[in-house]
Amino acid sequence: MMEKRSNKILLSVLLCAVGLAVIFVGVVYFRFISRRIFEDSTGHLEEIYGQVNRSFGDFIDRSWDLLDSSGDYLALAAEENAGAVEEYIADKQGQWGFTSFYFLSHDQSCMTPDGTRLSLELGDGWGTLAREGSVMAGVTLSDGRDVTVFAVSVPTGRYRGFDYDAIAIGYTNADLANSLNVDAFSGYANCFVIRDDGAVLLSTQEGGNVFKNYLSYLDAASDLDEEGLTGLRSDWQNGVSGLIQCQVGGVSCCILYLPVGYQDYVMLSVVPQSAVSAGFLSVQKTTIIALAVLFLLIGATVFAVILSRSKKRSLRDQTELRYRELMFDMLSNNVDDIFIMLNTEDHGVDYISPNIERLLGIPAEEARRDIRVMEKCAVDYDVVIPKGELAAIPLNGNRYWECEYMHQGTGERRWYRMTVYHMRLQEMGRYVIVLSDRTQERLNNQQLQQALTAAQSANEAKSNFLSNMSHDIRTPMNAIVGFALLLEKNADQPDRVREYTRKITASSHHLLSLINDVLDMSKIESGKTSLNLDSFSLPQLLEELKIILLSQAKAKRQQLTVHVQGTPPEVIVGDKLRLNQILINLLSNAVKYTPEEGKIELLVSELPQASPQYVKLRFVVRDNGIGMSEEFQRHVFAPFSREISSVTNTIQGTGLGMAITKNLVDLMGGVIWVESQPGQGSTFTVELSFALPEKEETVRLFQQKISRMLVADDEMDVCQGIMEMMHGSGVDISCVTDGAAAVEAAVQAHRRGEGFQVILLDWKMPGMDGVEAARSIRRQIGSDVPILVLTSYDWSDIEDEARQAGINAFMPKPFFTSTFWNTIAPLFGAPAAPAPPEEAPAGQMAGHMFLVAEDNELNAEILTEMLHMEGARCELAENGRQAVDMFLRSEPGTYDMILMDVQMPVMNGYEATRAIRASGHPSAKTIPIVAMTANTFAEDVRNALDAGMDGHLGKPIDMDAVRELVGKLLDEHAREKEQRGESQP
Amino acid sequence: MIRRRFSALVLALAAALVLSACGAGTPSGDPDAQVLTLMGKKSDLEKSYMTRVFEAYETATGNRLEIISYEDNEYEALAQAQFEQGHVPDVFLHFHNADLARFDTEENFYYLNGESWVDDLTDSARAYCQDGEGNLLGLPFWESSVSGCYYNKTLLDSLGLKPATTQKEFDMLCQALASTGYTPICWPADGCGWMVQFAMDPIFADDPALLEKLNHNEITYADIPQMTDMVRWIAGAAEKGWFGSDHMATGWDDISPALVSGKAVMTFIWDTWFYTDLEQGGQYSAEDFALMPVFMGTAPSGTYEGGNLNMMMVNKNSDHLQLALDFLSFCAAPENYNAAFDGISTVSCFKGQTTNIQSKMVTDAHDSIEANERASTAASKIIGYSSGDAVAAMNGLFSGRMDIDGCLQYMDKCRMANAGWDDPAPGA
Repeated sequence: MMEKRSNKILLSVLLCAVGLAVIFVGVVYFRFISRRIFEDSTGHLEEIYGQVNRSFGDFIDRSWDLLDSSGDYLALAAEENAGAVEEYIADKQGQWGFTSFYFLSHDQSCMTPDGTRLSLELGDGWGTLAREGSVMAGVTLSDGRDVTVFAVSVPTGRYRGFDYDAIAIGYTNADLANSLNVDAFSGYANCFVIRDDGAVLLSTQEGGNVFKNYLSYLDAASDLDEEGLTGLRSDWQNGVSGLIQCQVGGVSCCILYLPVGYQDYVMLSVVPQSAVSAGFLSVQKTTIIALAVLFLLIGATVFAVILSRSKKRSLRDQTELRYRELMFDMLSNNVDDIFIMLNTEDHGVDYISPNIERLLGIPAEEARRDIRVMEKCAVDYDVVIPKGELAAIPLNGNRYWECEYMHQGTGERRWYRMTVYHMRLQEMGRYVIVLSDRTQERLNNQQLQQALTAAQSANEAKSNFLSNMSHDIRTPMNAIVGFALLLEKNADQPDRVREYTRKITASSHHLLSLINDVLDMSKIESGKTSLNLDSFSLPQLLEELKIILLSQAKAKRQQLTVHVQGTPPEVIVGDKLRLNQILINLLSNAVKYTPEEGKIELLVSELPQASPQYVKLRFVVRDNGIGMSEEFQRHVFAPFSREISSVTNTIQGTGLGMAITKNLVDLMGGVIWVESQPGQGSTFTVELSFALPEKEETVRLFQQKISRMLVADDEMDVCQGIMEMMHGSGVDISCVTDGAAAVEAAVQAHRRGEGFQVILLDWKMPGMDGVEAARSIRRQIGSDVPILVLTSYDWSDIEDEARQAGINAFMPKPFFTSTFWNTIAPLFGAPAAPAPPEEAPAGQMAGHMFLVAEDNELNAEILTEMLHMEGARCELAENGRQAVDMFLRSEPGTYDMILMDVQMPVMNGYEATRAIRASGHPSAKTIPIVAMTANTFAEDVRNALDAGMDGHLGKPIDMDAVRELVGKLLDEHAREKEQRGESQP
Repeated sequence: MIRRRFSALVLALAAALVLSACGAGTPSGDPDAQVLTLMGKKSDLEKSYMTRVFEAYETATGNRLEIISYEDNEYEALAQAQFEQGHVPDVFLHFHNADLARFDTEENFYYLNGESWVDDLTDSARAYCQDGEGNLLGLPFWESSVSGCYYNKTLLDSLGLKPATTQKEFDMLCQALASTGYTPICWPADGCGWMVQFAMDPIFADDPALLEKLNHNEITYADIPQMTDMVRWIAGAAEKGWFGSDHMATGWDDISPALVSGKAVMTFIWDTWFYTDLEQGGQYSAEDFALMPVFMGTAPSGTYEGGNLNMMMVNKNSDHLQLALDFLSFCAAPENYNAAFDGISTVSCFKGQTTNIQSKMVTDAHDSIEANERASTAASKIIGYSSGDAVAAMNGLFSGRMDIDGCLQYMDKCRMANAGWDDPAPGA
């Protein structure tokens, strides 16, 4: 590096030296040339004006000759022959060009050939003429013309009476000056004929002459000193020629002086130096230009060659650089690291990898213009390129930062490690920044951290759960064990036995529900839960819910209401059991965590749904109970979570209900959330989508039977809801909001002959309630019109009074068209919907023979006892194989039903059922087989049915359920036998 | 202005009463004596040569001159008022300047071309007194001077230079003087108005039709090529340094020091100035100076400006027309004007004038003056001309604020504004 730099310096010095040498040689050469040119030029000047001077001398000589010859002629011419003289003179004038001819007398008088007398101001020329016989002098004529006069003495003569002794000719100075003019020196040359004292006789200055004495002028206007002027005057007086250079009037001039050769006259030529050398300088200039052009051409050629090579090299370098850059771009496009190079001066971008657009959504060109655009992407890093910190990075050092950026197009957040290297490239400081994508690493770490946290949380939750369960299980178990001991000791006291038995039963149920929840949760979490989809009636579901929960609510004197907004479809397709479970969980929690006399509300509404084959329903369970903290809301749906407080501690619960609910909602593709404030109550919202069955024919039925209906309810929302639900049914509905108005409306309509076909009255209305209103209506319009009472309450207490008042039927709130139709259909003689099967009466099982397959002796004993208590008989099999064998060995009709445990040794219940069904026994296909198993999930039920069973009963045995199912199956079995013509044994 | 007019009116009425009371043409004493009314500016009529000739006339003829004189500042207004009321005097004294137009010369005055004394007038005096059509309006009877280029002859001799006879030589002379370090021409920035006027004389004197058109607002300065030549020469001279490097700071009072010190060699002025204003005791005195024509681009052979002359004009409608003409002839008689101007320093109006005193500078340049003298024209005859405007225009030119055309346009604009013309006449 250093060596290269030294070479560069040496080369520069050499080039400068060569350049200076060339300049020096050039200057010396051109000075030499200039001197030579000047010498040649002055020689040229001397030559030209030498020639002019000789010509002028010749002219003077010729003038003397002319005058001499004229004198001779005049001497011979007769005085009287003036005409001939004039002719002679005119002839000479035409020949020689003089402008005037004079006859002179020594008394300084003068006459022209035509006899005009005049005064000729020759000054001291008269004396010279007298002394030397001739004179040349300048005079100014009366007309202002300056004339040079040549005069010679001649023998005394007489002309026109004038005695003359000299004759003269005159030339105008302008004419003479023309003969002295030369074309050389670009017209800048001035020529003077002066006396040796400087007095100017002639001047070639264009337009006239203002110089009277050139020596005086030089004294005033030149840079000649006294010595120079004296030398000049001396030369002139001595008839010496010479050439001097001096400044005249600020112009550098060459002054050439040459003696004319007559008297003291001197020819003086004054030429600017620039004009003297102009011709040569022009050659010199041309030479210089030619040389300069030559040098320029050589230089340009050399420069072009160097430039061409440099360009080629540069192009090669650029191409190579471009290839590298391209390759680097391609490489960087395939990685998730961004590369940036900044200069350290102003942080201008020298390079930025194009993948910045893919990774951060910033066009590379935009970032190249201003790197600060990256600030837009920074999530929580206020200074993207920390300038102050960059400056702190030592040369060849590096630092790194962790940054989070958000993609400008997608909003995706990614983590990068920004490593900045400070280095020096091409004599300039550079920061090379590498943004390495660490998102996956970060996510992995986060996931690991979350997993760890979750594991810790789950572990903690399970520890808490086990602790809770230990407590919760021990509590009923303790009661069971304790009361069992007490039962044993007090077996002879029937009242205590019943009391203890009731308490044992209650504890057992609680324990069972606990176990069921745990199992349910376990099942859901393990992903083994599936949905059993079927169409069901939404109103029926709500009615059942109400029935189930109303007793709990009543026990705490709570107000439980169910509202339906809008007109949700009445029959939907879904897993009724799971929906029931969700809503029961939410409602029973509401009941549980709402103090006495609190309010619990279930609100059902339909949400917009794009697909006509589906309906989206929102179920809102709202209470004004104890509510929950914000902290607990965040994990209310987490398993094994219960809020710890003085209130909740007194309430039994497994902490699994909400988790199960959440999982079921997730399983059904819905959402659930909660809004709550401590002490203000909670609102759970569930949104679920259900498929719709085919269209019902309810509308058509309404159009046939009813055209006008009166609705009376103090809640306008209820009225609106009914009108919306009945919309499109063809029934014209009139609404009033109190009992009196209902009476009035019904009576008036009746009188107009436009009486209502149905009157629907709310039970509890301010003022006149529904029963009173019905009574009044009946009194006034009779008993033709069906009157129904709509109520959220249990109407059993008032049913008798109401019927006496004329009420035909009761309808539960909320209003559903299907419920309404089912209620009024009998009143119009139309077929009602099939009634739900009635609870099997006790004793229905009496007399029937059961084959019971149960491997557990205790359970077998309990079941046997229970069947006996119902009046039935049974035979026991210890496993499935034995059950099959016993059935196959039995006579047809021996067993009325088989109660089959599922999990048994040798052969399980499913296999046994399949074997029975597959056997050739006459009753193999028809004998009812019911699964009795602790596996109570829907898939267990489905598995049982798939195996050929007819029903499923969960353990522990609930005799009510057993009675219901068995009764139903026995009836069906009996009807089938009747249809087959078999007689009941 | 109203007050002045009122005063003028009162005076005019008073004069009218005097004139009527005099019983025009008949003096009260001698029954044969005639009376001529003569109106003029008071200060003009008090000049010694005027009173001498008046007295001589009255003595010689027995006639009496009834002098009507007004103060200088009221003269134009009162005289005009008299003319408007028909009270035109027999003889009227007035300069041949632009104000004379107020008095309707064609209508009121007798053309004197045929008088016997006309040939005795110097050319410049005669030219001065003629109108545009060559009619002689009056008899010049006044003192005057010759304006021209006065140069330091002594200094010029010492520099080996001689005076110029042509514009070309003058330019060469200026260049030669400049090359010796002298200021060729002393040009006072605040007084160049009269210098411009010298240059304008030949333009209008040589072509009176131009003056007529100009005064009838038919052309402008810009339409006259010689005016452009003049401004171009002035601009060129200033640019070449012929006015000196500090001429913009040179004023009227600086002329004398510049000339007596030899700093400046020439100036454009009049001869009597050397005897009234030139400082004494300097290196150079009046004797060192000589006269040559002014060369400012408008006259190849140069020009001199003759003096402004008071003319005696005759009322052509007067009952005493012949008497008035006789009075003028009396004044124009050599013995009378020589007696009147005896010892008076002035340029001659009459060729036979011998008793007046003329400066050596003028007499030495006699032939040149004879050949190149023009009557003062610009200041006196161009309607709206103002010396001050010319100063402003030239200074605008020197400072670079105006170019040659702009300078002329400015002069035209000022001239027309002074004349009360809004715009040049159509076609101008």
